[in-house]
Amino acid sequence: MDRFRFPAYIQLGNNRYRERYGLDFEDFKVGQIFRHRPGVTISQQDNVEECINTFNQAMIHFDAHYAEQTEFKRPLVDTTLIIQRLMGLTWKTYYRRKRIVEWSCIDMLAPVFGGDTLYVETEVLFVGANLKDSESGLIEVSLRSFNQNQKKTCEMRCSMLIYKRDHLPFSAKNY
Amino acid sequence: MKDSLHFLREVEPNTYIETCGVDFEDFEVGQVFEHRPGHTFSEASCLNYARHSFDLSPGYSDQRYARRVYGDRVRVPETFVLSAMALTTRTFGKVVANLSMTDCKVKTVYAGDTLYLESEILGKRKSKSRPDQGLLHISSHALNQDGACVCSFERKLLVYRRNLGPYERAGY
Repeated sequence: MDRFRFPAYIQLGNNRYRERYGLDFEDFKVGQIFRHRPGVTISQQDNVEECINTFNQAMIHFDAHYAEQTEFKRPLVDTTLIIQRLMGLTWKTYYRRKRIVEWSCIDMLAPVFGGDTLYVETEVLFVGANLKDSESGLIEVSLRSFNQNQKKTCEMRCSMLIYKRDHLPFSAKNY
Repeated sequence: MKDSLHFLREVEPNTYIETCGVDFEDFEVGQVFEHRPGHTFSEASCLNYARHSFDLSPGYSDQRYARRVYGDRVRVPETFVLSAMALTTRTFGKVVANLSMTDCKVKTVYAGDTLYLESEILGKRKSKSRPDQGLLHISSHALNQDGACVCSFERKLLVYRRNLGPYERAGY
C-alpha cells in the first residue's frame, strides 16, 4: 500500500504553493531506503568533458581506439564523473545538506560505459546524536547505483551534515 | 631513473613517442609522486560542475542563499574536490580500472584555491586472476596553495604490466 509522505510544497495561500524539498535531520531514521528519481544516462561526451574539467589524462576515458584494444572494447566512464552524478541525483531527499564530510568507502563494482543509465538508491546507516547547540547533525548513508539492467555498478558510504528543522537559513521565510 | 619514469621514448633515431604513465614494474612501495601542474578552481568551474551534477539543492543553484549560509566565497563542490584525483593520472595513466577507494575525507575548499596532489605507493602485487595486470594500493593527499591538506583518500587500482597492455596495438 503506497502512502504519500513529506510534502513537496508549503501552502502559502488558497491557491499558492511554494516548492520545498529535503528531509530535516530529525526526519532521518536508520534503515530508511530512498530510491532516487530521475536517473541519468551518461554519454561518452559527458565522459570526455569530465576529463577536460578535471585534467584527467587517463586515455581509457577518451581515446576510443586505445580503449578498443582493451578488454572493455570502449571507453570506461571515469570514477569522478560517476561519483558527481550519483551524489547529485540524491538532491531531492538530501536538499538540506550542509556539507559532505567523507566517503569511508567507494567500490566500483562494474564498468560503466557511455549510453548506460544509472539509478541511485540510498539507505540510512547511522544517525548521530541531536546535539542541542548544533544547527546540523551527522548521518551516514550507503549509496548504491544500478544500471538499466539492474546490475549494481557502484556502492559507497557517505557521511554528511544535514540541517535540523528550522535551522536551515531562510527557513523562517519558508525557503 | 627507471625506464617508464621518462615521458619520451626514442622509437628510432631522432623520433620520440610520448609515454603515458609509469609501468607496474617501476612502482615501489614507499615512492611518493608529486603531481604537477595543480588545479585552480574558478568560480565558474565550480558552478558549472555543480550544475552538471544535476544537484538542485540551493547551495550552488541559488547564490543569494549560498552567500548567506556559507559566506561570500563560492565553495568548491565536495565531489569536485574529490575529482582532483584526476591529477594523478599522469603517473597512473596505465590504469586498467579503478577498483575502490577508502577514507575519502574532504574539507571545505573555496573558488580561487589551487590544489596540488601527491601520492604514495602503499602496496603492489601481481593480479592472480589477471596475469597481464597488477594491483596498486595508493594513498593520495591534496594540498592547497598554503600546504594544508584539504582532501585525502586511499585507492586500489589495476594497471597493466609491462609489454602486456594494449599499448603496442593502440600505437602507444
